[in-house]
Amino acid sequence: MAAPRAAAAAAASAKQVTRRNFAEAVRELGAHLESCDYVAVAAQKTGAPTGWRRALPVDTAETAYLKAKLAAESFQPLQIAVCPFLLRNSSPSTLVAYPYNFHIFPRDELQLGMPSYSFSCQSSYLSTMANDGFDFNMCIYDGISYLSRVQESFARQKVFTPHLRPLLPSQSTSVADSVFKSRIKSRIMHWRKGYAEPNKKDDGSLVSSFSRLILGGETYGSRPSISIDVCSDQQVQLVLEAANHISDDLVPLVVPDKAGAARTVCVIFTSSKEDKNLLLMDIQQSTEEKFRGFREVIDLLSSSQKPIVSYNCLNDLTMMHSKFLAPLPPNMHEFMCSLKMVFSNVVDVSHLWRQIGPLRKAKNIQAALSYLQRQYFVPIEIKIPEQDGTSGVTKNEQNVLRITKLFAKLSNLLKISPEYQLKSGEQYAAVEEYCNVFYPSCMVEDSDDVDFANEPDTAKAVSTDNIIFLWGFRGKSVKELKSYLPGLHQIFSEDFEVKLLDKTCSALIFRNSDTAMQLLKEISSESPSLNSFFSEGLKAAGFEVYRKVCRLGLWDSDLAEALEGVSSEVAASTLSECNSSQIYWNSSLMLDLKEYLEC
Amino acid sequence: MTFLTYGPYTYTGLQSIIHNQAQPPAARLRPSSPATATMQGRLRRLLPAPPPSALLFRSLSSSPPPKGGGDGGSGVPVKQVTRGNLAEALEELRGRVREATFVGLDLEMSGVTSAPWRDTFELDRDDVRYLKLRDSAERFAALQLGVCPFRWDPAKSAFVAHPHNFFIFPRKELSDCPSHEFLCQTTSIDFLAKYQFDFNTCFREGISYLSRAQEEEALQKLNLLHQDQTSASSTTSEGDGDMPLERAADILFTERMKLNFKEWRDVIVSKPDSHLLGNTKCAAGQFQTVFFKMRPAIMLNGFSSHQLQLIEQVLRKNFRDLVYVCTFGEDDTSEKRVVYSDTDEDKILLMKDVQEDLLKSREARVKSAIGIRHVIDLLSSERKLIVGHSCILDIAQVYSKFVGPLPSSIKEFALSIHKIFPHIADTRHLMSVNQAVQKLMKQKSKSLSSAFSFLCPASPSYAMKPSSLSPVKIEVEGDETKSSCFISGAKHEAGYDAYMTGCVFAQLCTYLDIKFDQLSPQDNLATNNKLQKHINLLSPSWNSGTVIDLSSGMERPEPGYMRRYPAPVYDNIVLIWGFMSKVRPKEIKDCICKVFGLGSVISVFSIDSTAVLVQFKKPESVNDFLDLKAVLERTDSAISILHPLSTILEGGQTRAAKYDTYRDICSSSESKYLFADQAEAVCATSENQLQENVDDNLISGVHQSILDGTVLASVNKGDGTKSGSKNEGDADITCQHILDALHDGRALIGRRIRS
Repeated sequence: MAAPRAAAAAAASAKQVTRRNFAEAVRELGAHLESCDYVAVAAQKTGAPTGWRRALPVDTAETAYLKAKLAAESFQPLQIAVCPFLLRNSSPSTLVAYPYNFHIFPRDELQLGMPSYSFSCQSSYLSTMANDGFDFNMCIYDGISYLSRVQESFARQKVFTPHLRPLLPSQSTSVADSVFKSRIKSRIMHWRKGYAEPNKKDDGSLVSSFSRLILGGETYGSRPSISIDVCSDQQVQLVLEAANHISDDLVPLVVPDKAGAARTVCVIFTSSKEDKNLLLMDIQQSTEEKFRGFREVIDLLSSSQKPIVSYNCLNDLTMMHSKFLAPLPPNMHEFMCSLKMVFSNVVDVSHLWRQIGPLRKAKNIQAALSYLQRQYFVPIEIKIPEQDGTSGVTKNEQNVLRITKLFAKLSNLLKISPEYQLKSGEQYAAVEEYCNVFYPSCMVEDSDDVDFANEPDTAKAVSTDNIIFLWGFRGKSVKELKSYLPGLHQIFSEDFEVKLLDKTCSALIFRNSDTAMQLLKEISSESPSLNSFFSEGLKAAGFEVYRKVCRLGLWDSDLAEALEGVSSEVAASTLSECNSSQIYWNSSLMLDLKEYLEC
Repeated sequence: MTFLTYGPYTYTGLQSIIHNQAQPPAARLRPSSPATATMQGRLRRLLPAPPPSALLFRSLSSSPPPKGGGDGGSGVPVKQVTRGNLAEALEELRGRVREATFVGLDLEMSGVTSAPWRDTFELDRDDVRYLKLRDSAERFAALQLGVCPFRWDPAKSAFVAHPHNFFIFPRKELSDCPSHEFLCQTTSIDFLAKYQFDFNTCFREGISYLSRAQEEEALQKLNLLHQDQTSASSTTSEGDGDMPLERAADILFTERMKLNFKEWRDVIVSKPDSHLLGNTKCAAGQFQTVFFKMRPAIMLNGFSSHQLQLIEQVLRKNFRDLVYVCTFGEDDTSEKRVVYSDTDEDKILLMKDVQEDLLKSREARVKSAIGIRHVIDLLSSERKLIVGHSCILDIAQVYSKFVGPLPSSIKEFALSIHKIFPHIADTRHLMSVNQAVQKLMKQKSKSLSSAFSFLCPASPSYAMKPSSLSPVKIEVEGDETKSSCFISGAKHEAGYDAYMTGCVFAQLCTYLDIKFDQLSPQDNLATNNKLQKHINLLSPSWNSGTVIDLSSGMERPEPGYMRRYPAPVYDNIVLIWGFMSKVRPKEIKDCICKVFGLGSVISVFSIDSTAVLVQFKKPESVNDFLDLKAVLERTDSAISILHPLSTILEGGQTRAAKYDTYRDICSSSESKYLFADQAEAVCATSENQLQENVDDNLISGVHQSILDGTVLASVNKGDGTKSGSKNEGDADITCQHILDALHDGRALIGRRIRS
């Protein structure tokens, strides 16, 4: 390994990995994972949901998960940056990072429509990526293929490559079987003799090459092999048994046809024990590449058991789960359980910075970093050992290095120390305390709509009972709504907040849940006091309807359209028994921290 | 229609450019046979040294991005157009199209089918086929547009072609347009990559567009906005949207601004001439006086949006003669100014002026966002003959991207296309109308590249079969300026494909006995009586076996099409989905036959692994099947387990419906990978339950009849409530069948017990 060089984060370059240098990169990464304390992960995707499909301040963990699930299922990661890093709390603390940037592409290697038949792209995302110098050609031509764990096991049933098959305990065999077996046995023995005892007869070279020809001798790679036609699984077993009986240096490989039924058994002769092991490894690897591809990295991360550090975890990890593990389960709880089996500890940096009071409002990594830069003295010496000479820093690796750096600073402030973690068990809880708490990120990194810039900035817990979804107001602004609603019914003269969720629908957040409940009740009973409300074409529904819209996945239409479709069924039946949960309503989500800092 | 039709076939013939006596700058394309094509290099050495222009094309062909990886490079210079050179290319193209006899057209897309079950099947009904086409055109993005005008040069007695390759990318050009989302089919993208499609150029430099509908909407929105603003500015509402000043910083900032503005205003008022000398900064502190529409003004730079809001508030509250004005500069950056205007009338005048400027600049932005649509508008307004190969999807894409949302029926679609492009020729259809071509192309794939290599052989010396005609000469003209935007065309690049299509078309015309020599420049090729009856006929899909007449919107069978399946009768079809994945179509057929009789099922067609279309012999079997299924599902007895249909019904997720449901599912905007998931999603959305219209009364009746050993009568279509009458005559399921089935079941159980 090259000598480490100190580098500023911006100048650092990660190892760019495509399918050309994948095998080598995985070996290196494996070694780095061994020695590191944490692994930072970031993904570059082709888009994110827009409109009301993105996580909104009214979303509970459950609905936010459903939205993340939608995003994970529709969009495609094109790059995954993985950065194992070491933290040493000397002073100044040192951070040694080994960033890798894997280019992946969901190539349909096995022609099964996997890993993804199609994927969505957001043209604005692609534009931004293109402007940042993202190399789409490299990604599409040479990106690493992959299959998820579930897809792999499916593919292994469907696609039939020559494979090894375990020998089953022999059953009672019929006469015909034993005749077949002994005939095969003698054929293989005869053929093997030509290779195993070559200098038995000096003048036998011509004869033996003839006999090879007659006996159907072929080569498997560079090794001699013989193909034996079979017509049933029973016969496969018999051939395997026969080969097993003869010698240890034979490797029987079952070659299936397109439908997966075994057609021939290819018996390969290996010259030594080492040669045999080599062959077995080769067979393993070639199938591995097709069936696992990039997922090998995920499997490595999982088996290393190092804490995963990421930002926007709900989005990135649902994506990783759906692309590399299995289809996403229908609810958040199952997802967390399933994820935990693979990655036991996942740290969301935004959860970490929420532990530091003034940082709570930070909108993104950069904002958090610049705040830390100003307000705290956390010197960190970053070392990124030169990996290879690829120039140009892509956005994605920049992100992963930012996550790394931010985590280093935060863990220093919060006294999370990997050293103790290694020494004694009790301190281990320090990291675990912060693990597996995912925040739905309501903040879009480049939000262009600034509704209100400066309002009280404390997030408060609001019960979903307090929320009313209102639609049918035909493009009125928040301001217009606030002045227009009180004229329609006295309920609206009470204190409430309005937030546009998309062009067609807004959320009203009442201070008092009774008011909201009362409104819903009057709406469902079509009380005459609401006549002017209805005649204006206004509609309203409670959170339960929204929850159902998300659960049913009615993502294709405007929110108003979706609510309208569901509300007629839900309104009457489940109003009384809706289970309320809490959201963290933060009226100042649009606050730009950078701007705040500049004032 | 590029990857769908000729993707899988191998490319046998390479078109090579072999220079001979042509005058520069035109590089002459002479035919050469497939055999010589692979020896392009050698051949070139045998020929007299090519003049510089031809060499240039060669050297350019290897310039980045490398095209074709050695096999695709054709030597045909194709003009590459990105947003950088669109304006210039468009100007040039305008003339070329005007002179052209016909124009070759091709499109490369990000995908073709959004799910395997959305592939077009031969037995699709026309409305279903159109829904699939529409889904494809709407979901996927057009990435390249190939346009190749062909001009007949009587002097050379040859066609002169100008292939253009436009990169398209649906960039979001207008801020108020919703962000564009499109689908990519993995195999299509991989396919394009195999042919060295340059994704970087496409995504970075691709030309954006607005459809006609989008443009109209944007302009309308602008006008509305303009009206709103002019009316708003005349009745400035006081105190509207006041921000309470809560933070000390805000209060301090507001006070400071108030002082600064006052100071500046006082200077302007007291010394009305001094600012003419540009000498005011002394008094106004940080402010630099500029002029805005002949009035003194201050540029507001470096303020945050929050601060600007505060400033606006200060001005509104405290200064009658200072106006806050926000305009947009060249590159869409907003410029904010404080303008001094001494009277109220002047103020209104100023605001009006500003609003009009704003409207103009916004309109200009909308106009410039039209982008690549100018090309389509050009083709449309010139009313030229458009030539495509298997081009219905290309045309649908063009419509959905550049005109507006696709109409709801294929007839409407055909008629509206006809209005835009009055003459469209499909080379794939033309190939099928001529006997000689049919004979020549017999056994050959009908793909574009295969047609090209057979119909446009590269060299006349490679004597054609006596039957074939002497080919039309086609030259490709590069640009005089030899700018770097030419690269050698390669297969599956839209520009080159458009060129190939045009070449194929020209040769096909000779087979139709059209003499280009006798064609005067005024003549419209499209109205040539030998061609006229073959144009405006497009096949709705490669396997539909029909053509649609664009001028009338009527569909009719395509002559000479060989059906793989018997013509379907849609009333006899049942759609079944959601059965266990292990159940094969063959088993479905077998177990339905067990119940309905041996010849009762004509075919079982599998849509994907989760759904089949079962075509019965008799229409009444459809309802019988649906009813029987409902009965078996609701009765929880041995019969439902032992019944032969239990193979299909096992798992309890199996659903069945009539063919119309299939159409409804196809029309949904959902896109699930498996048909069963799609169907469930559609059913979840639509409240009306699908085909579960059997009432309990019927069920008990039918159930009873099964138990009694009486006959389950066929329930006539449209008469779902009629309970089992005991009419032996038209019964499809007899007691014997059911008993047989029970016996089968018993035998099965018996075997199981024994083993």
